[in-house]
Amino acid sequence: MFEKFAVTVLTVAACTSALSEVAMGDDEAARPVNPYAGDKAVAQEGASLLNQYCAHCHGQWAVQGERPRDLRRLRIRYGDDAISMFRTTVEEGRMDKGMPVWKGVLSDEVLWKIYTFLETVQAED
Amino acid sequence: MGSIERRSASWLGIAVLAMASASASGQSTEWPHYGNDQANTRYSPLTQINTGNVQNLKVVWAHSLGTLETQESSPLVVGDTLYVTSSTGPRYVFALDAKTGARKWTYQPELPSDYMATVCCGMDSRGLAVADGKVFFGRLDAKLEALDAKTGKRLWTVTIADYKKGHSITSPPLIVKDLVITGIAGGEFGIRGFVSAYKQSTGERVWRTYTIPGPGEPGNETWKEDSWKTGGGSTWGVGSYDAKRNVVYWSTSNAGPWGAHTRGTDSSDYGIYSNQWTASQLAFDADSGKIVWGYQYTPHDTWDFDGINEAVLTDLNVGGKQIPALLHADRNGFFYVLNRDTGKVVAADPFVTVNWATHVDLETGRPVEAANNEKRPQLGKWARNVCPNLIGGKNWSPMSYSAQTGLAYLPAFNMCMDIANRKEEYAPGKFYLASEFDLGKVGATGSNLGEFLAWDPVANKKVWSIEEPNMWAGGAMSTAGGLVFYGNIEGLLKAVDAKTGKVLWQFRVGTGITQSPVTYTIDGKQYLAVVAGRIKGPPSFFGALGQKMIEQSPEGGILMVFAL
Repeated sequence: MFEKFAVTVLTVAACTSALSEVAMGDDEAARPVNPYAGDKAVAQEGASLLNQYCAHCHGQWAVQGERPRDLRRLRIRYGDDAISMFRTTVEEGRMDKGMPVWKGVLSDEVLWKIYTFLETVQAED
Repeated sequence: MGSIERRSASWLGIAVLAMASASASGQSTEWPHYGNDQANTRYSPLTQINTGNVQNLKVVWAHSLGTLETQESSPLVVGDTLYVTSSTGPRYVFALDAKTGARKWTYQPELPSDYMATVCCGMDSRGLAVADGKVFFGRLDAKLEALDAKTGKRLWTVTIADYKKGHSITSPPLIVKDLVITGIAGGEFGIRGFVSAYKQSTGERVWRTYTIPGPGEPGNETWKEDSWKTGGGSTWGVGSYDAKRNVVYWSTSNAGPWGAHTRGTDSSDYGIYSNQWTASQLAFDADSGKIVWGYQYTPHDTWDFDGINEAVLTDLNVGGKQIPALLHADRNGFFYVLNRDTGKVVAADPFVTVNWATHVDLETGRPVEAANNEKRPQLGKWARNVCPNLIGGKNWSPMSYSAQTGLAYLPAFNMCMDIANRKEEYAPGKFYLASEFDLGKVGATGSNLGEFLAWDPVANKKVWSIEEPNMWAGGAMSTAGGLVFYGNIEGLLKAVDAKTGKVLWQFRVGTGITQSPVTYTIDGKQYLAVVAGRIKGPPSFFGALGQKMIEQSPEGGILMVFAL
């Protein structure tokens, strides 16, 4: 799923106008908003929740050597779409790659706290 | 030591002598079961490759397993055929000419696309069993399958349990007379563990015994309220079988979820809430599945001291007395010698740094935990610097017991952890740990994360040790050629002098090794076969140290075969 997405975006960026590139990204207005964005205390709580629910695949404090599972690279990989991609993947899962469906199990509050932490550990390159 | 060799001849004897003479007369010597014998010794009486010539080993053929991700399959050799599974499903089952590697048949099991989301710790397959012209193996979607050993044609497939609720099968079944007996994985998904026996001919179920007693059964009172329903006690390792006693030995996983507040007092003072039979050794009557005895390695477990490590059966001469022993190196850091007739503990000594318990009381059989719950995580409370950590003093990679030296050889970890219990609701098919942990701590004995060691199960002490800078070292195989073989995560396959621990030969296979090699002869020539493919799942648990593990070698999938 990720590979297909990435190829599409690259193709669009390389071959077509800026207009269609925007159209391929998600709608900025419809992009979800993290209510805790930038809150350091929440980020700390989020680290603990990530360690409890996600670390067995994604690594303690999101430290992970397998790049496809490395959540510190969401920003590099998806740019402004990272937040939408995070929500979609967590809620719908990627069952064929081992990612369960978390909708109905983890609350919005928990998910946003985890995301708030992830925003503090995004890689530069 | 001499008496140990003699006892070996007394009950394993006939098979061992037959094998030895077969190789002498230029015939073939099989590796017919996961552990070579059903006592799980991983000891071979072959001597052609020995301490004097092991440095001349050369690759004679290789075979791609066709998948990436953790390769944990232990090949079998029956007749002149080598059978091996790949990871991820398994994706493939191969039958190869054991002498040349030429393909006889390939079978591709049909798995649903979503099974990976309900498998704990890597898309592994530890192999298969062969009996009565059939090949049997378990699948990650919790099915057991039988193939025609000659043609690879599917004979039957049975669903053991619902994979969508976190059940899976990762280890090969055990062959007992006309039965094929399997365990189940899922201790991190809140399953209730069991062992199940099926008819080899049809796949019809003959018995199923739950490791956790239900209401009305003795032991159910060791669980708080309904916690027994999701209490773990899975059986994802391999079983052992003593034909003379007609008893099957299987050990059980951690209690589920890890956080013990869900199952009892959440304290070292756990009272009746020992949570039977999790983190335990069980003995089953092979015909009925009835539990003959149980011994709990870690009562009221909360550290993920998953007890599934293999039971190695041998007779030991302890203080002039012959003991029908069961050897077990547990995740909790103690090396146990049990009496396999009674389930009573004979010895339990730490083989790595252990601080969660001061010792095991040989009278009560119970570990004496560190005072004041200092090393026991509780709801909302961290226990710091707990040794060993939850990957254990030893994990599933099998040990070997050499009838020649009387020593057990095993890969071990030198690591500690911080751990705390957390509130969590059970959701079917989701990880259910109720725990938070930090495994990035090296143990008390230096910077090496692992070691490969020889253990004397009579004197109850370490005899020699090879430091491994990285976790983890792979499983062991010993031979009458005076050798022990094992590999590591860097992809180095090593041959070691079984008496001294001196490394005599090593070869880089190009990707990490976790399973033990096997050995066999065809037309009087001895071969050594190893499966390699670096583990991928467990490193995620380790944060920065996990990242270091992954850097040691790329993923892979290869079977390499050596000879002189």
